[in-house]
Amino acid sequence: MIMELTAIGALVARDLRSLFRARSQLYSSVLFPLMLLAIIGTGVSEGLQPAGVSDYVTFLTPGIIVMTALFSSTFSSASYYQDRDSGMLRVLLASPHPARVILFAKALSAVVIGAAQALLVLAAAATIPAIDFEWQYGVAGSLALAFFAILVLNFFLAGLGQLLASRIASMQGFHLVMNLVLFPFLFFSGAFFPLDNLPLWLHMLGRVNPLSYAVDMMQLALYAGDDDGFFGLPLDIAVLTALAAAIFYVAASREVGADR
Amino acid sequence: MPSRLDAHSTLPPTPERLVILFTDILSITATLSTRPLSTSADATAIDIDTLSFSYGEQVALDTLSLRVAVGAVFGLLGPNGSGKSTLLSLLTERRRPQSGTIRLLGEPLTARLRARMGVVFQEPSLDPHMTVIETMRLQARLFALPGAAATRRTAQLLDTVGLADRGSALTATLSGGMKRRLELARALIADPELLLLDEPTLALDPESKQRLWAHLREANAAGLTLLVATNDVQEAERYCGTVALLSAGKLVAQGAPSELRHGLRREAVRIEWRDGAVPDDGLLEALPGAGQIRRAGQVAHVTVDAAAPFLARLFERAGERIHAVRIEESTLEDVYFQLVGRAISQPSPHEPPA
Repeated sequence: MIMELTAIGALVARDLRSLFRARSQLYSSVLFPLMLLAIIGTGVSEGLQPAGVSDYVTFLTPGIIVMTALFSSTFSSASYYQDRDSGMLRVLLASPHPARVILFAKALSAVVIGAAQALLVLAAAATIPAIDFEWQYGVAGSLALAFFAILVLNFFLAGLGQLLASRIASMQGFHLVMNLVLFPFLFFSGAFFPLDNLPLWLHMLGRVNPLSYAVDMMQLALYAGDDDGFFGLPLDIAVLTALAAAIFYVAASREVGADR
Repeated sequence: MPSRLDAHSTLPPTPERLVILFTDILSITATLSTRPLSTSADATAIDIDTLSFSYGEQVALDTLSLRVAVGAVFGLLGPNGSGKSTLLSLLTERRRPQSGTIRLLGEPLTARLRARMGVVFQEPSLDPHMTVIETMRLQARLFALPGAAATRRTAQLLDTVGLADRGSALTATLSGGMKRRLELARALIADPELLLLDEPTLALDPESKQRLWAHLREANAAGLTLLVATNDVQEAERYCGTVALLSAGKLVAQGAPSELRHGLRREAVRIEWRDGAVPDDGLLEALPGAGQIRRAGQVAHVTVDAAAPFLARLFERAGERIHAVRIEESTLEDVYFQLVGRAISQPSPHEPPA
């Protein structure tokens, strides 16, 4: 167990080092969401104020944080391909650890990096005067809930990323699938507009969309003035936690090929 | 223990340092459990019994049995597709045997057993974004070497393989030979008892090849068992104490190179024919004293009992066709050809995946 923890720590440290080295990726992962927040938030607030949203910029922030996690998990999961193509995955799998330990470490790196980036966006957003968080559970309680949502969401996305990476042969194919499948999911997750008044088919898609539960939890923590939300906090926590645990377990326990 | 934060002063601050410090503390304890308390009394480093593996219909290993003694330099010699890389992938558990058994260092294969082994893969296996030192330290942590020991061992190995002054260089900036030596140093970080090498000198220039083998021999002299998969006949003859010849996943012969050559004709003649003057197959076969005959374009390679009388007869019959001749000692290539009917440089008809 101790040996496994040592290996996991070493692999997470390696991925963190890579992130610090790739500064452009680090900066863009934080600046891009803030830029979207400024442009879309201001643009929609001024001309297209959605019904039932009093402060669109603040409403948008939880969705942008979820989007940050999504971007981050896509990038982090792509490191699976980099390791495979450089031959490092073969080296890691020849170390004295079961494959699941290596995969867990890779997924954990994605969780840590994704969560850190999402929290950085949250921290930066909190300093913007135009964004007025409600903190309905108190600042500490709301922050704790936001942190929990970000963490669970990143476990879900890291697991999903790893699972897709193990099924899709090329990195190009992986990015294509992430773009074609996950980003539409983001659009009907309630991140950019409320799900309440949508046509039935879109409403139903929103209900079966895992990202909707993360967005709902984030909105409850930061934006909503009461504890209702779209699904309600207990359902958000139950669904997202169960999905994250299941997919993370499946992703970390699968057979893995070190070869192209 | 000296502070590892000092040792990592060039690294970026914050979370990474904390993780490194945490893992160092863990690894001190972990190292205590990585090695067996006593060395196995079994003097066999590798014991493979009727091992088979197929890629669908394509047989890669066919009831292969091998034993490699502790301290040996054991060569697996065969053309591409003969099953060498498949065997190594089974030994490192990248693939699972479909039948047969493998025991390494007296134990069945487990993840924990790999703590006593090192592997150098055929394909490059370095992260181009990591430095030489980082590459070594990652491996040390994967093998639960405590910080101080890892630092000492890294310095010692990099010095041995001539990379001491390249510690902060990204691996992407190293030459092919340097990369190979780094991969060797990395495989030796945890002081393994068994080292598996898959075509370790592939694409290396002669000088790099020689340097790499000098390090390998040094490690072997210190007690390390080496299993080397290669299709380089000269390498196998020169460096391996025992060689197993593989063809289509089967063991064709095994022994010391001199033993394998025993019974083979002593010398070999390489004949290069003039342009457009390559004779019929029957010419060489009809010459008294001719053994195995291999042909490749305008070149023929014939094993003979004695080269001088053979050449005299050859020049008498077909002197005008000959462009050049060279007398050589017969090699494992000749042994392989005699046993398999195909040259080592000629891949198996159905080459399986690596």
